[in-house]
Amino acid sequence: MEHTENPKPSSSRLSSVLTDVHFWVPVAVLISGLLLLSFMR
Amino acid sequence: MSSEAQTLSASSTQDISRAKKLQLLGILSGFAAGAWLGAAEAPTKLVSIGISPMAISLIMVIGVFLARWSLPALILGTSSVRADVRRAPHLIIWALLAGCLWAVANTLTIFAIRDIGLSIAFPLWNSNSLLGIFWGFLFFNELRQAGWRRWTGVLGGALVMCAGATLLAIASSTQGSAGHSLRGVWAALGAGVLWGTMYIPYRKAYLTGMNPLSFVTFFTFGELGMMSALAIGYTGWAPLWRELAVARGVVFWLMLGGFIWVIGDLFQQYAAKYVGISRGIPLSNSNQLWGLLWGIFVFGELHGRSSSTFAQVIGGSLLMMLGVGAVAFSSAAGEEQTRWKEAAQREGRRYGVAADYVAARMDGRQAAGESAPSRTIWDWLLVAAATAIFMVFASMARVPQLSLNWLPAALLAIALLVLLFICTLALYRTTRFH
Repeated sequence: MEHTENPKPSSSRLSSVLTDVHFWVPVAVLISGLLLLSFMR
Repeated sequence: MSSEAQTLSASSTQDISRAKKLQLLGILSGFAAGAWLGAAEAPTKLVSIGISPMAISLIMVIGVFLARWSLPALILGTSSVRADVRRAPHLIIWALLAGCLWAVANTLTIFAIRDIGLSIAFPLWNSNSLLGIFWGFLFFNELRQAGWRRWTGVLGGALVMCAGATLLAIASSTQGSAGHSLRGVWAALGAGVLWGTMYIPYRKAYLTGMNPLSFVTFFTFGELGMMSALAIGYTGWAPLWRELAVARGVVFWLMLGGFIWVIGDLFQQYAAKYVGISRGIPLSNSNQLWGLLWGIFVFGELHGRSSSTFAQVIGGSLLMMLGVGAVAFSSAAGEEQTRWKEAAQREGRRYGVAADYVAARMDGRQAAGESAPSRTIWDWLLVAAATAIFMVFASMARVPQLSLNWLPAALLAIALLVLLFICTLALYRTTRFH
């Protein structure tokens, strides 16, 4: 039976997130949204 | 040799039939999402006291938070959430990020409505479905090798829905522009971009095998955390607390709106999982049509308005239905689904998630060796605590003095319950809520 547990250590997982372009697109949009909100005030 | 070929052919036929079933399930979930998300507006219409939109949003999000923990605990149990997180812990970050995006977008819509009115603001932020189609295509292989017929159905359907939404928003709008028009346009467009981008984490989670019920439990921390920070930042601790204290008679109705919204959102999550974001978002965006049905028939919102307004409503509704139909009949076929699987395998490799788990969850099944979800005493306590909080606020709630049309309200409520029953049963039978 194949195991289904995650074999990656957490540091490696974090670096996978931080080097993923899919992650930075929503982050950039979120920062822009917050800037827009502060401009609205 | 011929028996091997027969076995392969039978397995391939089974795969195609399963894929078709999941596509139908996703489309049904999209329809149910539209109905329940639209109905979430109904309890908020009972609130007419002068509290700030920021406080209203915060109270609704508190109701949402309670529902997002109690419903998954009731349906599968929190042990299933913990098991999902052990397999793909990185998705917590994605869920928090999506929750933050939702809260900022929701706050921007408040400014947009104030500055340019609903009729202009709504179509602008409704463009989120077009952005969702773009991200789905760019990042997750959606609509790749889909053929011109499906492209036309999805993109054309989304555009027709935007046109219908514009007509409905113009017809239902009661407020005009209050100046600051450019600022309002930016706020509405910003909300659309934030909501459209929020679907990147959604799709990411479902391609990596996470259960929608697990995803929303972490999403809501981002949502509540960001909404609280914005409400405190904009209003200040003491004034916000005073507003919440004044509003205690209507807290129940707002939290109820949040609860109903979560049911719709759960169906939207399953739609995003099984038909992708390019189809799931436009289908869920039919919520505007349902919201308008509640507004017109139950709350008599367009009473005494001109015949041109009713023509706009009928025209807008027909366009919305046409768009929904075009998207629903453009579900992903074989080659496009192969591209989805490639995207899922890529995600699995990147984040070290076991391939058998990703494949099983994409197929709406439990992975081999995965224990069946079960509820513990803690799950029942969680459900009981959430119910008790709702009951406490229900006991404080004031019954508003509003003239409602009860027959249409009953008919719409029956339609909602029928959709809930059919879709829940289909999700249970086909995927056991995976």
